[in-house]
Amino acid sequence: MPGIVYKKWLAVMLAFMALFLTSCGEKEAERGKLIMVTNATFPPYEFYQGSRIVGIDADMVREIAKRNDLELVIEDMAFDSVIAAVQTGKADVAASGITVTEDRKKQIDFTTSYVKADQVIIMRKGDAIAGPEDLKGKRIGVQHGTTGDLYVTENLQEPERFQDGALAVASLVTGKIHAVVLDSAPAEEHVARNKGICILPTALVSEEYAMAISKSRPELLAMFNRTMAEMKADGTMDTIWARYLDKDGKPLAVPAVVAEEEKGMWGRLADSFEVNFVKDDRWHYLVDGFLVTIEISACAVLMGLCIGFLVAVIRSAHDQTGRYKVLNFLCHIYLTVVRGTPVVVQLLIIYFVIFGSVDVSKVLVAIVAFGVNSGAYVAEIIRSGIMAVDSGQMEAGRSLGLSYGTTMRSVILPQAFKNVLPALGNEFIVLLKETSVCGYIALQDLTKGGDIIRSQTYDAFLPLIAVALTYLVVVVCLSQLLKKLENSLKKNER
Amino acid sequence: MNADNILEVRDLVKEFGDHRVIDGVSVGVKKGEVVFLLGPSGAGKSTVMRCMNFLETPTGGEVLFHGQPVDRSENGLNHYRAKVGMVFQHFNLFANLTILDNITLAPVKCGLMSRTEAETQALHLLHRIGLRDKAKAYPSQLSGGQKQRVAIVRALAMNPEVLLFDEPTSALDPEMVGEVENLMRELAKDGMTMLVVSHDTDFAMELADRIVFLADGKLVVDAPPAVIAASDNPRIRDFFSIR
Repeated sequence: MPGIVYKKWLAVMLAFMALFLTSCGEKEAERGKLIMVTNATFPPYEFYQGSRIVGIDADMVREIAKRNDLELVIEDMAFDSVIAAVQTGKADVAASGITVTEDRKKQIDFTTSYVKADQVIIMRKGDAIAGPEDLKGKRIGVQHGTTGDLYVTENLQEPERFQDGALAVASLVTGKIHAVVLDSAPAEEHVARNKGICILPTALVSEEYAMAISKSRPELLAMFNRTMAEMKADGTMDTIWARYLDKDGKPLAVPAVVAEEEKGMWGRLADSFEVNFVKDDRWHYLVDGFLVTIEISACAVLMGLCIGFLVAVIRSAHDQTGRYKVLNFLCHIYLTVVRGTPVVVQLLIIYFVIFGSVDVSKVLVAIVAFGVNSGAYVAEIIRSGIMAVDSGQMEAGRSLGLSYGTTMRSVILPQAFKNVLPALGNEFIVLLKETSVCGYIALQDLTKGGDIIRSQTYDAFLPLIAVALTYLVVVVCLSQLLKKLENSLKKNER
Repeated sequence: MNADNILEVRDLVKEFGDHRVIDGVSVGVKKGEVVFLLGPSGAGKSTVMRCMNFLETPTGGEVLFHGQPVDRSENGLNHYRAKVGMVFQHFNLFANLTILDNITLAPVKCGLMSRTEAETQALHLLHRIGLRDKAKAYPSQLSGGQKQRVAIVRALAMNPEVLLFDEPTSALDPEMVGEVENLMRELAKDGMTMLVVSHDTDFAMELADRIVFLADGKLVVDAPPAVIAASDNPRIRDFFSIR
């Protein structure tokens, strides 16, 4: 039996090494498909309309794909990851209102730029900010990884970096920061939706947008530039722009969500509920996200339990019998690395490095990341449970002629499991909540679902509360289940 | 030493680090014999016994079973231990299993008998010690004396050739010592080969065929109770007069 366990473990290790090696190669372009990555919180360039990502960038790439007989797949992820996604071959093109900069040119190739855009300053009406020079010393919000972020960091001071522009604007509206630096088009949209803020007439800096393509794909770059030139010549570009902006470059058809003052608190709350959850079936984001969160958590818990059990048994067997020296050493490295690094970093490494060149589902990536992470903690929890079982139990088993393995399985592990159940339950609760960082690899889990609603409605309060309540309910249910299990296992105690 | 010993240790040495706790002890037990290991605390009685079934690995010397050195491989040890039962001071019943499962686990897992056979045997044994109604109970629901009697029965279920008792009554309340001692008397009468580590000199004088007296990890004397009682060795006299 120990031999079989050993072989299985070896197989797992080899599989991981193989993945490491294959990740070094470049991904072959998938025939017939064009994968575009974007951060769909950037109206009018890219944003959600229902469950569909639309906007100038999205429509443009859709047209390019159509003209070249390619099937378009659009993936939504954090802005600071889109260029990495193109570089690692996760995607073919990043179209996300990306500003052309010298630094970025070193990483990827840019298509011909398709618009000139300004970085503008959004401020509260009535605040004493007359121009860019007044920003010094003020608290400035930006979207992380955007050129606004780069510009403010290099030329003014350290800004407050938000995951998306809507959050930065929400902070401005609630008075947490003094100003937001954002691209002019989305800034117009934000101002149109919020009464209390305005855009400073003087732009902070002017720049150009273009799409990003990997340096190893010159043929794709050429295809994009050629098609974009055609679209410009035949007027398609103008048609796309006219869908979202009027002649003065002001956004069209902005849904007014600013609550009317006379409605009172409950009236406003009801309106907000309507806009955030009912309109456009936005509650779907929460339900779908919830299902993804549960799927990832449940599978990761199972995987973590398996890994944890295996590692704990190997480590205990090594401590008690002195066998499995090599395996114990590997387990030790695993525990050190996993417990010594943050789970977000592990998630990103597994997505971009280990599964970098393999096209696997993001849910699977998340399950592996959280399963491997959780396994390390579960291993130590179970090991502590094994160590806590009286040594007389093992001696009694051995004295009867039972092998180490049989005694472990029939006597020690059941007792250890019962001892550590509360600690395991705690680990599962932590895991469930940790999956909320899935948004980093563009997975639409519960948290990300709330983010998407926020990016559409520009309302932070209700979506956040709804997300928090959902997690809370799941955790409470989980705690109750564990309590029941604990009680049923307690029957052999007085 | 005698060739008809079932179990025997020769020139046993056990060291923990630099500390030599057993220094060249040789003890044997013949079929049907009851041998008590006596001696002051720290004399090494329990260690000798634990070395006999390799719960402690001997530093030196030999352990012989039917005159043959014991095969110390993993499998060899499992086979050997199946024939040499052990009863512990603290009972060590499996806390997660019912009394019935405690008794049937080893015979079934070691392939000695089927589950049904093992259960029939276990119920028979439980009936014999008057605990048949506790078959479905868990160890924590039993008194100390009941636990120790179940532990003895658990060892018996393997049909061992020798039973080792490591201070079987030391952890019991005084009123429970009797029930365990009675069971041991019955076993001795039935001809079970027993090796007992104990502090109870009266019980040893009554039950033992031979008493082995240890002090400071060395064998002092190995003789029948009558000879021990008449001994003029000061250490033995001291030991017996204290009790």
